[in-house]
Amino acid sequence: MVEETHQNQINIPKKRPLRSVGKVILYAIMALIGIVQIFPLIWLFDYSLLKSGDFFGNAILQIPNPPQWENYISAFTQGKVLPYFINSALVTFVSVVLTAVVSVLLAYAITRMKWRLSALVANIILIGMMIPIHATLLPNFIIFHKIDLLNSYWALILPYTAFNIPISMFIITGFMQTIPRSIEEAAVIDGSSIFGILRHIIFPLTKPAIATISVVNFINCWNEFIMAYTFITADKYKTLPFSIIQFTGQYSSNYGAQFAVMSLIAIPSIIIYLIFTDEINKGLMAGSIK
Amino acid sequence: MDRLMSDKKTIFTLVAPGFLILLSMILLPIAMSVYYGTTDWSGIGSFNFVGLENFKNIIFHDDVFRKSLLNALYLTVATILIQHPLAILLAILITHCGRWEKVLRTILFIPAIISVVVTAKLWASVYNPQYGLLNNMLETVGLSFLKQDWLGDPRFAIWSVILVVMWQGFGYAFLLYYAGLKGVPEELYEAAKIDGANYFQLYGRIVIPLLAPMMRVAIVIAVITCLKQMEVVFLMTNGGPGSSTQLLGNYLYQTAFSKGLYGYGNAISVVFVIIVLIITVILNKILTRDVGEY
Repeated sequence: MVEETHQNQINIPKKRPLRSVGKVILYAIMALIGIVQIFPLIWLFDYSLLKSGDFFGNAILQIPNPPQWENYISAFTQGKVLPYFINSALVTFVSVVLTAVVSVLLAYAITRMKWRLSALVANIILIGMMIPIHATLLPNFIIFHKIDLLNSYWALILPYTAFNIPISMFIITGFMQTIPRSIEEAAVIDGSSIFGILRHIIFPLTKPAIATISVVNFINCWNEFIMAYTFITADKYKTLPFSIIQFTGQYSSNYGAQFAVMSLIAIPSIIIYLIFTDEINKGLMAGSIK
Repeated sequence: MDRLMSDKKTIFTLVAPGFLILLSMILLPIAMSVYYGTTDWSGIGSFNFVGLENFKNIIFHDDVFRKSLLNALYLTVATILIQHPLAILLAILITHCGRWEKVLRTILFIPAIISVVVTAKLWASVYNPQYGLLNNMLETVGLSFLKQDWLGDPRFAIWSVILVVMWQGFGYAFLLYYAGLKGVPEELYEAAKIDGANYFQLYGRIVIPLLAPMMRVAIVIAVITCLKQMEVVFLMTNGGPGSSTQLLGNYLYQTAFSKGLYGYGNAISVVFVIIVLIITVILNKILTRDVGEY
């Protein structure tokens, strides 16, 4: 249900034209806010192509003359963008897949199976949604230290998955409730097991909801910083946000390259967003309305 | 069918993986915080049980904790009084933008998907007194007397940080109201037009009241997000100058990891969680009591 209504809400524009004076004011306001929202990023890309010496002028935007593409090269090599990128991709991919799998299983057990503690478990998971990440940093650091999990991929994958489970499970639950039970009943009569039903019926039918939560979880994990900063100190496991942190520390006077490394981190998120705008919007709204 | 659906072993297999991850990564740590919060542990060596001493100190004697809460309150109030009305206004205006609607919607949301590290470091540069965008802009429009060291001056630092948080969160608030607006049936607009309503009557009497349930949801989310906010401060000012930009999450981090006060840090965690839970429950009770359908 949720999915359907949102699709309508997003895609069907309402056409109510205004008179011309109103139109001018309208576009002026929209342009102003649009510029405020996007201008810092334009400035970022612009300055990422400048020589460090060109930073200290009063011009708002400067035409890079010539564009310093080598800023991107030094950002890429000195900022260790590639190894960190691979770590980010690995951690994000495993977290997203793991979250999707366990959330589907949980949602199925809660919407379809009959057991006494069902409501209690659902409520405990809901509480997980309200716990601030920061309150778990210190105790998790102590636990990870004790079981020797600091500086490993699991030190990120497990908490990322945990914090994405509540919202993902609730979005999938909402979606699953719209699947008619008669399909499962027919499968049971044909002798299918629960796992058969999950694989051949529930999983394919839940795909749109899985896509939605996966895209949103991807953005969350990809951009996550504070847990990575707390649980990872070894260079081998660092994720992409560390490129910026380390770069601004070590090469603090190389402004152009600093801006280039920031651009390099921002660009993939923007591209993913432009490709999956609708999925992201749906996911965020389904998550908030639940 | 019923027997299959209540098979204990299957249920356990389905629930265990997700539930155990959640339990061990979120709920067990909180329980541990409650335990360590009653000690004077400094991270190494032995520690003593000090009862509720830490909690008493946090609530009654800790000025930085108080400052952090106060700053979170500033952030929350600014978000609700500035960001949300603006988001509602824009959500309404954008529906009149015809073919630009989709483009504008996308642009408005872009800051929300950018990594918080990029956001924080980018804005630290925007505020930079030597080459920052903000001072250069003020200079260009002839307001150079307004130029400041935006993050260095305790009077402006917290508001500079709040502006960044609002910039990043704006798209999300906007999107919620936009979704709410799209849920208002087209016929209502038509009916109001036939009855001769002007735009102010149309929005003041029909559309905004219908948006009320979405406002409640959006405000609950905003309050919780503001309380939990930390990363921007951590990366831009680390709570300074002094404790002028301190927020709960950041103060907790500093206490635990920079000062090594594990016992006290854990106690702050617990108080932090309790505050968020209480406020969430209260807000849910007050605000979502009568969420209607239209």
